[in-house]
Amino acid sequence: MAEMVKKSSGDEILNHWILAVSCILLIISGYGFLFQIETIGSLFGGFDTMKTVHNWVGVVFILSLLYSMRHYFKDALEYDADDRQWFKVAGGYLSHKVKVPPMGKYNPGQKLYYLAILAAGIAIALSGFVIWLIQDNAGLILFAHLVHNVAFCIFIIAVPVHIYLTTLANPGTFRIMVNGMVPLELAKKRYPKWMKAAGKM
Amino acid sequence: MANNNTKNRKAILVTPEVCIGCRACQVSCKSWNQLPGIKTKNTGTYQNPPDLASAAFNIIRYSEVPSQANPVRWLFVSRRCMHCEDAGCMKICPAPGALYRTKEGAVAFDRDKCIGCKLCVNACPFDVPRYDEEGKVTKCHLCFDRIDAGMQPACVKTCPTGALRFGDRAELISTAKQEGFGTIYGEEDLGGLGSLYAFKDEPKLYGMKDDPAIPSSVIFWNTVLKPFAVAGLGGVVAAAAIHYLAVGPHKEEEEV
Repeated sequence: MAEMVKKSSGDEILNHWILAVSCILLIISGYGFLFQIETIGSLFGGFDTMKTVHNWVGVVFILSLLYSMRHYFKDALEYDADDRQWFKVAGGYLSHKVKVPPMGKYNPGQKLYYLAILAAGIAIALSGFVIWLIQDNAGLILFAHLVHNVAFCIFIIAVPVHIYLTTLANPGTFRIMVNGMVPLELAKKRYPKWMKAAGKM
Repeated sequence: MANNNTKNRKAILVTPEVCIGCRACQVSCKSWNQLPGIKTKNTGTYQNPPDLASAAFNIIRYSEVPSQANPVRWLFVSRRCMHCEDAGCMKICPAPGALYRTKEGAVAFDRDKCIGCKLCVNACPFDVPRYDEEGKVTKCHLCFDRIDAGMQPACVKTCPTGALRFGDRAELISTAKQEGFGTIYGEEDLGGLGSLYAFKDEPKLYGMKDDPAIPSSVIFWNTVLKPFAVAGLGGVVAAAAIHYLAVGPHKEEEEV
């Protein structure tokens, strides 16, 4: 069996699944509220229950998102010349013929995705808490309602792109969220700078 | 859906000029809707209770507006849900059926379907909806149950001076105009209100809101963000599908 490298730790994988499941539940129930969709309400056992589920799953989501900072935040803040070149070739996603510069553990698309989700996640959680808990402050609640919905729009764009790019568009990537392992040969191709830093190349 | 059939649209016409501030409308509303009394404190005005409440679907607002001719002038306005044609509360409500349009064009509520999010309170241009102790929405429902039985709303029925009149909305407007009232508050606002006010003076004197409107953030949310939430998701799913077919997944052998 080919030699493997560990890209994601156990707690990272578990936390990512908590994030993924809570996020998708929140998006589905969010659509239910946004368009008063009776079918979605019924799935959750009625709109009253769906509101309770939405609120508390939101708590799980934001705690999980904040916990994820220990896995991704430091990497997400560091960009180098190769990262800038990565944007010029659109990460190689639009054509397989372009030369993609060597990448570290995460490419800048992933890093910016993380920062966008972190910012939108904090915004949607704070505004959610305002709508949930604050009373008698119409200006604040309407502002929170607006922020909550703008952040929702970021999620419904970014999350499907993330899911597509980590499954169908990049075969083999999904396994990292199952056991955290990547074959060494593949890792050398995809994350050469990370592998060099780890002394494997 | 909004009831645009103004032929059938019913309304309450308030004529503050003939209101004597007796508050019979408040009492009959409580009586019909079985609402409890509210303990209040005297704050130097006869207005009581001080504002609409979960146990007060209508109130008479007392304004002291002295003028040259009349140094002790009191103005009375019977205030309740305006039953907007274009209702901010219904727009923002996330729970289907919690706020709904009656066949007379009024905005009624179903507390069993209310999820207690209170967004309607904040989206209302007139600060009308209230929450009861169980966290469910309450407000004037234009006595749709009485109207169904061929009766007038309780407040109208009991009004001794004709300051409250109920009937066909278009007819009420033309009657008020014939009677010489220059300003019919609510004739055009928010698509037309179901609570109309006939004034000779400036409505503002009576504490009526100038140019009432649904908050702009709610309009933006409704006209931009909601469509975007559908188009955006559909767009990225379509883009992913096109990418998969046109460019295809990443292939390792093409890498360096």
